Amino acid sequence: MAEEINKKTFKTVTKFRRENNFIYQFGRHPFVFIIGIVIPLILYGIFIGYPLVSVFTLSFFKWDGISNHMPFVGLQNYISLVQDPAFIQSLVNNIKWAVLTIIFPVGLGLLLAAILHSGNIYFSNFFRAIIFLPTTMSLVGVGIMFALILNPSFGALNTLFNSSGLGFLAQEWLGNSKLALYTLIFVFSWGYIGLPMILFYAGMSGIPVELYEAASLEGSGAFQNLRFITIPLLSPVTTMTIMLTVINSLRAFDLVMVMTGGGPFGQTTVLGYFMYLETFGNYKFGYGAAISVVILLLSIVFAAVYIKNVASEAMHVS
Amino acid sequence: MSPERITKHPRIKINKLVFTLLLFSLLLVYSYPVFLTIITSLKNDAEVIQNPIGLPIQVSFGAFMRAWTTLHMGNLIMYSLLYSIGGTLLAILIAIGPAYALGRFNIPGGNIVFVILLTGLMVPQQTVVIPLYEVLTKLSLLNNPLGLIMVHGVYGTAFVLLVLRGFIGSVPKELEDAARMDGCNDFRLLSDIFLPLLMPGILVAGVLNIINIWRELFFALIFLNNDAINPVTVGLIKVTQSTYFSSWNLPAAAVLISQIPIVLIYIVAYQWIQQGMMAGAVKG
Repeated sequence: MAEEINKKTFKTVTKFRRENNFIYQFGRHPFVFIIGIVIPLILYGIFIGYPLVSVFTLSFFKWDGISNHMPFVGLQNYISLVQDPAFIQSLVNNIKWAVLTIIFPVGLGLLLAAILHSGNIYFSNFFRAIIFLPTTMSLVGVGIMFALILNPSFGALNTLFNSSGLGFLAQEWLGNSKLALYTLIFVFSWGYIGLPMILFYAGMSGIPVELYEAASLEGSGAFQNLRFITIPLLSPVTTMTIMLTVINSLRAFDLVMVMTGGGPFGQTTVLGYFMYLETFGNYKFGYGAAISVVILLLSIVFAAVYIKNVASEAMHVS
Repeated sequence: MSPERITKHPRIKINKLVFTLLLFSLLLVYSYPVFLTIITSLKNDAEVIQNPIGLPIQVSFGAFMRAWTTLHMGNLIMYSLLYSIGGTLLAILIAIGPAYALGRFNIPGGNIVFVILLTGLMVPQQTVVIPLYEVLTKLSLLNNPLGLIMVHGVYGTAFVLLVLRGFIGSVPKELEDAARMDGCNDFRLLSDIFLPLLMPGILVAGVLNIINIWRELFFALIFLNNDAINPVTVGLIKVTQSTYFSSWNLPAAAVLISQIPIVLIYIVAYQWIQQGMMAGAVKG
């Protein structure tokens, strides 16, 4: 009897082992493996994996992007980088960009989501649709639209100030080296705020209503609800939104290119734009690769946290 | 109903109305850039300078005509459509496989593959662009619409996979078992059972991906170096260089033209877009 049970267990165990064996599974479901694992991994290898590895190697060379002359220079590109004031400038600008986009559009997006989700607003769906709309626009378009407002001589903002006796407020919004970066961040925020708003709104919709009902029985007000229920329960969404925002600021490019070209005097250059200028403007591909590596290293932690969250959520759902 | 409730009820409604009106006035300020762009695009050259912020006194569509012809907007939009739709179809085609394999088969190491495939969500373009430039040169896909479609397809895969993975979980297991009993093989199961049921997911992911590619500038700027095949984002950069226009009505009109297809998609597919944002909670 006991022997029989042992035999059975042994059989199940081997069967279990067999089913978890890669090669066995491959043999049984070749089609699934080819379209599900092999093809995507090959394409990723060529278009994502190889570039991510190769950019490291390239950063140790000097290369103009065209010729076959490609001398190995070791760490020289990195040494030049830390001594390059333009690099330091764009790094500082990028940090400001990241911090301010977290405070401004993400913070305001949270507030908007809370207002729209509170039930104290008519047509909440309509508001959501309109607030989200700018995130679907290209930043090139957004930049041109804001040029109509910010142009120093005939932009709407200065015209408005001058005609209402507030001429002293009129500024060269994009030409003033102290202001330009903040102007760009403001414009970026206009086009970005819909994203955190919708993410927070989705997160709030996932919080069970019973919690609020119980809290209001205890006499909790709207602010207390936000402080003690909504914000703590939203923390996964908040983490993801912040990670996403940091990565987005590390790849900021479009607005800088369209609105200021990095000027005045490099005051609005961010890493993503600096990399473009050095590589495709000055044909310093090795140097550009070194900047790419810096961007990669800066983004890797945020990207990892984000992907870990997204992946575990997706695997949890299915 | 208690008397207290009766007196309380109308007060709340007035509050709600006040909040709504307050938010609505903020929304007017928020929409001002779009409003200004629209009224600027409808003015003639002289009026843009004399009356920069007022409503157009004489509505003129001249700027739209000139934008359309001088910037070749028709061509730009055609290529933007090609890249958006082509790239998205490719991304869907690539992503269906892993969504099916990883969502429905107990593949050893499947979770690792899933995480690897998700990295595409978060790679800043600037970190891969130089080697990718080399890769495309070697494949003779630089300056070639097919090259950009391939790049967008692979980089869009992660998002589509993420959305589809969620949708594939909702396909009932019984349906799969029944089909297997009827002798469905893996391919038939995917094409006849899963694909139709995944359609909503494909639409949700597809619409958002189309919008993302439509907005994209960096890859297009680097990998295409030929006016004849540029998408709208690259084409529009020209209007920021002042030699191409004499007055602001032309860039305003060009921006609006470039935005029309996306607004149409937005209106038609708003529900799917919202769903996609919530399902995927993703990419900017």
